[in-house]
Amino acid sequence: MTRVRNVLALSVAAALIAGNVGAGWLDTEPLELKVEPETLRFGSIYETRRVIVTAIGANNRSTDLTGEAKFESELLEGSEQGFVTPTRTGQGRLRISVEGQSIEVPVTVADDSVATVSFVRDVVPVMNKVGCGNGTCHGAQKGKNGFRLSLRGYDPQFDYQALLYDMSGRRFNRAAPAQSLMLTKPTMQTPHVGGLTIERDTRYYNTILDWISQGVPFGNLDADRVQSLEVYPKEIFMAAPHKAQHLAVVAHYRDGRTRDVTREAHFESSNTESFLVEDPAIAHSIRRGEGAVLVRYEGQYATVPVTVLSGSGGFRWSRVAQHSYIDELIDEKLQRVEVQPSEIASDSEFLRRVTLDLTGRIPDAETVLAFLDDPARPRQKRAQAINKLIGNDAFVDHWTLKWGDLLRSNRKYMSYKGMWTFREWLHDSVAANMPFDDFARKLLTSRGSTFESPATGYYRAARGAKEAMETTTQLFMGVRMVCAQCHDHPFEKWTQEQYYQMTAFFSTIGIRPGFETGEEIVYDKRVDRDVLHPKYDHVVDPEFLVPIEGAAAPSDTARSEALTDWLVSPENPFFARAITNRVWSYFMGRGIIEPVDDVRDSNPAVNEPLLAALTADLVANDFDLRHLMRRIVSSRAYQSSFRPTESNADDDLNFSHHHPRRLTAEQLADAVAKATGSRFEIPSLPEDFQAAQLPDPHVDLDGFLDLFGRPDRESACECERKSEMSLPQAMNLLNGPIVAEAIADPDGRVAQLILSGASQDEIVDELYLATFSRLPTAEERSASGRHFESHDSRATAAQDLLWALMNSNAFLFNV
Amino acid sequence: MLVIPGHRGTTCDGPTRRELIRVGSLGLFGISLSHLLQWRDVQAATLPGADHLAGMTGFGNAKSVILLFLQGGPSHIDIWDPKPDAPSNVRGEFSAIPTNVDGIRLSETMPLLADQVDKCTLIRAMSYTPKGLFNHTAAIYQMLTGYPPDRVAPSGQLEPPSPIDFPTAGSHVSKYIPPDDAVLPFVELPRPLQESNVIGKGGAAGFLGKAYDPYRLYQDPNAAIELSDLELRGEVSPERLRDRFSLLKGINDSMPELEKAVESSALNEYYEKAYDLVLSGKARAAFDLEEEPEATRERYGRHTFGQSVLMARRLIEAGTRFVQVNWPAVANGNPEVDAWDTHAANFGPLRNLHCPKLDQALSALLDDMGQRGMLDETLVVAVGEFGRSPRLGVSTSGNANSPDGRDHWPYCYTSMVAGAGIPGGVLYGESDETGSSPREKPVHPNDLLATVYFALGINPEMEVLNHLDQPRELVKGKIVHDLWG
Repeated sequence: MTRVRNVLALSVAAALIAGNVGAGWLDTEPLELKVEPETLRFGSIYETRRVIVTAIGANNRSTDLTGEAKFESELLEGSEQGFVTPTRTGQGRLRISVEGQSIEVPVTVADDSVATVSFVRDVVPVMNKVGCGNGTCHGAQKGKNGFRLSLRGYDPQFDYQALLYDMSGRRFNRAAPAQSLMLTKPTMQTPHVGGLTIERDTRYYNTILDWISQGVPFGNLDADRVQSLEVYPKEIFMAAPHKAQHLAVVAHYRDGRTRDVTREAHFESSNTESFLVEDPAIAHSIRRGEGAVLVRYEGQYATVPVTVLSGSGGFRWSRVAQHSYIDELIDEKLQRVEVQPSEIASDSEFLRRVTLDLTGRIPDAETVLAFLDDPARPRQKRAQAINKLIGNDAFVDHWTLKWGDLLRSNRKYMSYKGMWTFREWLHDSVAANMPFDDFARKLLTSRGSTFESPATGYYRAARGAKEAMETTTQLFMGVRMVCAQCHDHPFEKWTQEQYYQMTAFFSTIGIRPGFETGEEIVYDKRVDRDVLHPKYDHVVDPEFLVPIEGAAAPSDTARSEALTDWLVSPENPFFARAITNRVWSYFMGRGIIEPVDDVRDSNPAVNEPLLAALTADLVANDFDLRHLMRRIVSSRAYQSSFRPTESNADDDLNFSHHHPRRLTAEQLADAVAKATGSRFEIPSLPEDFQAAQLPDPHVDLDGFLDLFGRPDRESACECERKSEMSLPQAMNLLNGPIVAEAIADPDGRVAQLILSGASQDEIVDELYLATFSRLPTAEERSASGRHFESHDSRATAAQDLLWALMNSNAFLFNV
Repeated sequence: MLVIPGHRGTTCDGPTRRELIRVGSLGLFGISLSHLLQWRDVQAATLPGADHLAGMTGFGNAKSVILLFLQGGPSHIDIWDPKPDAPSNVRGEFSAIPTNVDGIRLSETMPLLADQVDKCTLIRAMSYTPKGLFNHTAAIYQMLTGYPPDRVAPSGQLEPPSPIDFPTAGSHVSKYIPPDDAVLPFVELPRPLQESNVIGKGGAAGFLGKAYDPYRLYQDPNAAIELSDLELRGEVSPERLRDRFSLLKGINDSMPELEKAVESSALNEYYEKAYDLVLSGKARAAFDLEEEPEATRERYGRHTFGQSVLMARRLIEAGTRFVQVNWPAVANGNPEVDAWDTHAANFGPLRNLHCPKLDQALSALLDDMGQRGMLDETLVVAVGEFGRSPRLGVSTSGNANSPDGRDHWPYCYTSMVAGAGIPGGVLYGESDETGSSPREKPVHPNDLLATVYFALGINPEMEVLNHLDQPRELVKGKIVHDLWG
């Protein structure tokens, strides 16, 4: 598979050469040269720094000229690709010229270098760069071949101990530093399963050699730790494929020093189809797309947003309807990335889509006809349809199901009666449109019998302090803390300490058996409630993940209340935003941040202004989720067609068109029942129960729901619901009992139609209405007519047509 | 599609499966799904990260696997690794018999297999020390997924199968090398993995999703079996299905824009395959033992295990990648039942119930596949989740044992491998004089699993993403290269 990558890289390289030879490599006449950083200060003559040179063109678009620029300075020598190294100390200037223009920046070369090589500051970055502490190498939980390091070097003390004292210190040969195992292994002078990771006599090799020669000093854990990263440029914009953008990374240390760490930092493209980052820190565009470069160095992170345009030119924006600020903000972004949104979907497409998304069902044939016949203006009648759907019985079922999934309403955790009690409470909360902050508060702070105070079921499913904390942060903040249980989060700023500080909010919750079978009591413990740090064994006090100004300090007597006050506060940077993003994703197919339950700095929103505006809207409307849903489904973006325009077929990010989604397991089962006019019989439930109303995953329809990816309600992760297609699914639809028996139901739609003596056209019309929620086109009518004529039995022909309709894309997908 | 920084994207092992899928969804850029599917076929030869393995002896020799999973823990001393010179409280009641390979002896319980030993290798020092829970379910999970179970219910039992479980080997195999023909990729029969009340643990696709679960034929192949889902339903004749299918194609074709928009779901491909599966009858025919000569059926043994093994051969012949035959009995304390968990009585049941069936079916399989030339491209493995205590009547697991019972023993036991170019008539590794611990060349269950993946052309160290998208090795085990000599 490396093959593929190489092909891409090669094509990029080829294009670069081809592009740079000709004169047309510059997109626009450079009006202005920009140099980053604006001043250069070297701490010693041994440092190297990269200078990024950018031309700002007429349309305010930038072009990277770092590779082409010429560097002149009495103090520096310019190596390739923007790297400059001092030749002596002093003050002076660096003159940069390119394309007939030039610019100067001040330069200082000081002599404040630290004499010794520090493990923390110098050696760990090398080990991380070559990957010693990767999860599949020595950073694995048990290390590799007897040598264990902390995951990605997050714990330098541990690594230092491991290097120095494991194996009786055999890793160093202080008499002959070059003979040290720490050098002979990665250079493969001694066999190394991990292969050659450091070449001899390179910079990295020499760093380690110097360090061993100097007596392996640890350094200063305070002064030598990186505080923050600064990356140039702040944003990457590449006007076409096959462009390059140099990057520079400066680390700021706790002692105030800085260092250029461009060559040691890790770069990762969030969108490898669109751009890659290759050594030495150069981003290459491949095709149109967006994403970010994630820069990682010594536990610190920075992201640089990236936009790559198609470069085909000739893009012209033509205005489409804007229903609200949602469309304005989406269009702003679309214009910037040169994507024309799709037209608005037809009335019938809209009605099927919005009915599925709001209520989980397909619309009745009669409702479709009435809607299509309604002469009112589209926006008006669509608004009316939305109002009828929001809050109706099916709506309540649908969102009860959704919350039941996320909150793990499951007899396995809650007992049979407890599960029903909890489900009924969810149902009532949705029916009453309980504001979402109240909903969260009830779940988190309810106490008492799980039968009498149903919301306590939350803590039965999320049992134990850690589980409750992980569930709460993931569910209500979209933050995944689980990795930080064992080590500082590898891709986020959360530390292990914070994991336990947050856990401490939940360690006071006790659960004990109640008086009835299956009943439990959730209460606040007064003893045995301390959380201990697993490594250092100290009692960890509760502390909020991020401080909010004016928030009460975590109280010792009512930790859940304190946490909830903090959580649902409008100032909390996660809560409102997470639910807004989540609800958006249910209608638009993906979150503005995706996955919706993995919010972190390194996973930026594709449209931050949009998410901010929606969040503010929700907060201003007192966490009324129905308001938010109405806002979303009323937008043009939601109502747009799946049919692409010339420029948006490959846009998966910016909500420029609708993406058909396979019906979920429950939607599909209920759609089959509705289309065929049939009913499932589930022995343990009332006879009119539909799939959307099933209480938990322990009830199924011949395995149909499990097969189509209904979540098992074992975790709070949205990822539990699977939406991909598979062979067994196709087999089931094609030949399985659910579809076949529904079609052949003697009380079903086909039987009724035949008995009523409906004409052939009437039958065809009704079957199309019942499945696709629209009337057939003239061609479809005549094709169906031919089908009927080739059959003696109208019942058989009708059954076959219904079968074919239900197995087709237009039925299986929410189009 | 926005990919999340921090998620393991491209690694030294190349793009992940996820990226493959993502690339496949980019129809507009000329990489269509059909390209992807072709690509996948190419991949079958060199899966991600397998470059360094390509060309090694044995790599990719096998196209398919038959796993005879002897759940319950068969007594290695009384079957594969007799210890005639050990004290009587270890030796037991059976004597050792010669085989058709000089220097290899089996227990007298395996007279038919003794004539087929030239086709197989006995790994006589399977060994591991359980961490945490020490019971059947935990051992089965370890054996078949390559990972120790991490969730133990308050009852002291494992949790039931869950969507966050590590996938069973057959699920991985059916995902990474789907079959070429319209057949079922992964079949498990004739009953689920089961010990105590936990059913199916270690036998499911876990975080890969149910689409990769085995096709579960939990029926007795020694009787008539029912395959309603592979059979056309009564009211639908083949002509009618063809008619319906062409109607369906007409409907889909009339909406080409939609067809294109949902291309990445591969729905059409799945429907074509499903249609072939149901209509061609190839998959169904593979289950039809009536097509076998009576003599062959007798040769495998007219009992559940024998006919299951025969069915496994037929499935492999049809193109199925992975067939897992679970030993069809589960301990319930009754010595009349042929379960391998012989705490209560070891020798009588083994002599009269278990071993004749295993001996008959396994010898027939090796003989039959050898004659058909099928061993070249099929790997046959017979193994249980552990062996049994060399000493009689002692408790090693906390269970009570009768004076002639044997308890669980994971520290040293035997597995049998054959085919895929592994030379026959060979002993690999050796146990000590009482069969208690390895004397040389111990093989961890993970090593065996790694070797199975290797034989199929899959890099055992390939990175897979679990339910939290954390990177994990397919299995952390050492490939036993020396099996190939």
